[in-house]
Amino acid sequence: MAKKLQYRRLVLLALLLGAAFVGLGYRLVDLQVLRYEELSAKARDNTRKEFLLEPRRGDIVDAKGNILATSAFVKTVCADPALIGNRQVEVARAIAPLLQASESELVQRLAPRLGQNAQGVIITNHYVVLKRKVPAETWQKVQMAMTNLSFGLDEKKLPRAERRFYRDLRRGAIYVERFDDQQRVYPNQALAAHVLGYVGMNERKMDGRPLLETSGKDGIEQSFDAKLTGVRGWRLTEIDRPGREVVALREQDVEPQDGLNVVLTIDSVVQHIVESALAEGMDKHSPNSISGIVVRPRTGEILALATLPNYDPNNPGNASEDARRNRVIADVAEPGSTFKIVVVSGALNDGVVRRSDTFDCEHGRFHFAGRILHDHESYGVLSVESIITKSSNIGAAKIGIKMGESRLYDYIRNYGFGTPTGLPLQGEVGGIVHPVKKWSKVSIAQIPMGQGIAVTSLQMIMTMSAIANKGVLMRPMLVDRLEDRDHIVRAKYSPQRVHQVISEAAAEQMVTALKTVVSPEGTGAKAIIAHYTAAGKTGTAQKSGGPAGYLPGKYYASFIGFFPADNPQVCISVVMDDPKHGYYGGQIAAPVFKQIAEKVANYLNIRPEDGEVPPPSNIAAPADDRPVRTAAARTPVKTIQ
Amino acid sequence: MFDADLNERQPHIDRVLMVALVGLMLLGAAFVYSATMVSESARLAPWYSQSWFRQIVWYVLGTGVAAAICCVDYHTLTRWSMIAYWVAVLMLIAVLFFGSVRFGARRWFDLGIFSLQPSEFAKLAFIMAQAHFLSRPVEELRSLLTFWKALGLMLLPFVLILKEPDLGSALVLLPTGLAMLLVAGTPRRYLLRLLAGAAILGALFLVDVLFMPTNWQVKLEDYQRRRLMVYFGKEDSPPAGATKAERLRLRQQQSDYSHNVRQALISVGSGGLTGKGWRQGTQNALGYLPRSVAHNDFIFSVIAEEKGFVGSVIVLTLYGAVLFSGIRIAGQARDRLGKTLAVGIVTLIFSHVFINIGMNIRIMPVTGVPLPLLSYGGSSVLGSLIAMGILQNVYIYRKTY
Repeated sequence: MAKKLQYRRLVLLALLLGAAFVGLGYRLVDLQVLRYEELSAKARDNTRKEFLLEPRRGDIVDAKGNILATSAFVKTVCADPALIGNRQVEVARAIAPLLQASESELVQRLAPRLGQNAQGVIITNHYVVLKRKVPAETWQKVQMAMTNLSFGLDEKKLPRAERRFYRDLRRGAIYVERFDDQQRVYPNQALAAHVLGYVGMNERKMDGRPLLETSGKDGIEQSFDAKLTGVRGWRLTEIDRPGREVVALREQDVEPQDGLNVVLTIDSVVQHIVESALAEGMDKHSPNSISGIVVRPRTGEILALATLPNYDPNNPGNASEDARRNRVIADVAEPGSTFKIVVVSGALNDGVVRRSDTFDCEHGRFHFAGRILHDHESYGVLSVESIITKSSNIGAAKIGIKMGESRLYDYIRNYGFGTPTGLPLQGEVGGIVHPVKKWSKVSIAQIPMGQGIAVTSLQMIMTMSAIANKGVLMRPMLVDRLEDRDHIVRAKYSPQRVHQVISEAAAEQMVTALKTVVSPEGTGAKAIIAHYTAAGKTGTAQKSGGPAGYLPGKYYASFIGFFPADNPQVCISVVMDDPKHGYYGGQIAAPVFKQIAEKVANYLNIRPEDGEVPPPSNIAAPADDRPVRTAAARTPVKTIQ
Repeated sequence: MFDADLNERQPHIDRVLMVALVGLMLLGAAFVYSATMVSESARLAPWYSQSWFRQIVWYVLGTGVAAAICCVDYHTLTRWSMIAYWVAVLMLIAVLFFGSVRFGARRWFDLGIFSLQPSEFAKLAFIMAQAHFLSRPVEELRSLLTFWKALGLMLLPFVLILKEPDLGSALVLLPTGLAMLLVAGTPRRYLLRLLAGAAILGALFLVDVLFMPTNWQVKLEDYQRRRLMVYFGKEDSPPAGATKAERLRLRQQQSDYSHNVRQALISVGSGGLTGKGWRQGTQNALGYLPRSVAHNDFIFSVIAEEKGFVGSVIVLTLYGAVLFSGIRIAGQARDRLGKTLAVGIVTLIFSHVFINIGMNIRIMPVTGVPLPLLSYGGSSVLGSLIAMGILQNVYIYRKTY
């Protein structure tokens, strides 16, 4: 009887155990068969991690290979507040001076914050950015400071757990992000700032994570952003629990493609010459702004393009909006007398006038369409050439009247006024050219002397270059080629002819006329250069205040010229906006032209026309210590004929 | 099933049990290797001090002790059981004072080359003492006094082990003792009342821990409360007036802890049907399954991840073979002493298996109970093999009249 009870109970026990095993088995089927997909995905999520590999942003270099903008690798210093415990103050005190950050702010950042993860579990943050763009040397100092950090207690006597806390704090509390960041560096500071532009950071969300991107905000940095940026690579890999990469399990590793280098036509020595000369002019005449451009007329290559005030692209935020604006392409103004080259060259080309034809310049007072036009001096009868030489407004107006509205308009448009020149810089404007049907009666007399029309100084110098270039208008060129890191050319830009505006013969006559400007009799006497014949045109315009009319006492003084006149190598323009001491282009802009031209001639080894060797000079070597490598190497070599 | 086989040529030991045990030991050695050889420091250690080798040494030692036990009739052995029981109780008391502290609990005697966990042996001593006590005439079993005495016999080591604290090891004593009372033939009414009483107490305990304000709760160790909280999916609320640092630490522990449980579940599930292959488990190899527990308490997760559903079913089958041979041995035992002894051991092993696998697949709270023979650990392996020796002993001496 008792035996039977025992057996029954044994069977009961066996059944219970069996049921429990079935329960375990069912759960295993549930987990390993039914929920396999979900849980293995979770296991993969644990380990798989995708890293983005940032490409190196390409450099911007000048025609000689001097670096104008480059990217340096920098660290992003982060902290793990969970490892710092309550030692924020000590840590902040140690690293704040190194990171040049305020101590109290660091203390705040180092304090742990609580958040909730997707499951609603409360977690502490393990990641806070302390400072971006920290150079490698600074990071080394920070590491050193952390390793030697002392908390003023004898740690050998502490319990093991606390000893480990301090060890982990020293080792892991401050760290850098896995991948280096980049910082854009402009080693020459403000040199060619308006050509180069600057970069900024944008934060973009990618797969829910913030991603900082560097992108160009102005200048070449902006217009060639896509080429400079390169292509981002990625690495799909597995990480272990402490977050280290398991290199053996790397699945995909696509190297980033570095950005291309942009090689400019700008020559940093010429640029420096121009900027120094402009700075001097700025000191002397205190204009609102002063701009200078140097172009090779044959190709349209821009050797220098500068405008003051400028800014340091390393810290674009410190400069005003005004200083950052590239006035050469973004500002328009009535050009004044320099515009006479358009009407005179057009009239010569059409055969409406010949160089020796004469016009009565009415002794400085010309009644036309109910208005009186003035010359700055009183002239009698002048030849077409002399109208250019003396810059007679009345003469130019009469040539314009003789030529007719529609032909004048055609030449204005053919020289490219009214449309942007197509320089690869953002913000270029086309100027204001009204169509003929909107002209007033007096327009045909005003426009030839550079009133009632608004142009950029780049358009003006390209027009002068077209005359120097046998009547062929070139598109201005700023970028010569794109290279990769190994200097293999990826894209080559060649000079672009826009079209022939005037015939070669007309251009030749025009050059002859323009030579007389840069002569003792001409308005541009102060632009005469030793050893070279230069040709050019002065310009002095009253500044227009919009509908209110002209602003009394405010002028726009300019000089545009090229040399050697019969074999033009460079065309140079100098423009001053609202100079305070003196205002005639021939008086204040021409000397700046002369200064630039002489130094550039020396630097570029332009053969002197009078057979003499120009005196050796050291201007080609930059006066200050700006790092211009190839220029220094080239300096003293002169060819002796 | 329980009829004694009268065939004279039958083997002296239970072969099914033997094969299952060898299978478990092979698996144990292989996966302790897999779970520990992932870290650099483990690989650099000399081979004789690596975990898998030590585990094999314990297997050999344990098998030796078990063989020795088989040489002596269990009747002779149980005569010493009361002495063993009191020695075990003394050791449990001693460990509270002289034991070394690890993970916040005094459970071990540090003996230099290895550390001894007295609770493992106390469990066996209790089973032998209880079996001996319950082998008295049936009439005596019906008296209430005997029942209370049997309960006392169980509760003394239970309380001492709970005090260490080692909730898991203490808890396995309860089903073991209950199963032994059941099979020994204790009247049903006592058992039902006991069961009802235990259920009410357990429910009250849970309600208290989970829902009552902190100062009303039973004193529990920090980690125990946390484990229960995680199991029941509740946030541990910090005590009123805790400093910010304390709160942080608490949250950190809580999230670490629930991390372990979650990762174990992911390990098991991601194994799929056939697993990722021996030593190929990412959860294990890359340290998502915490290194400190992968080779002992969470060895089942390692097996399940690396050998998949097939592997875990093989493990369950092997344990099933052990347990059902055990129950068959109990059925064939020649007297009540043998029966209760065998049932005690079967229930003990089963409780370990169920609680451990249960916590790996998240149907039980985590209590730190090792998986017999698979988990790394000398005391556990030795204890399990001694238990198996006793089981074989009951089988070998089933017909000696």
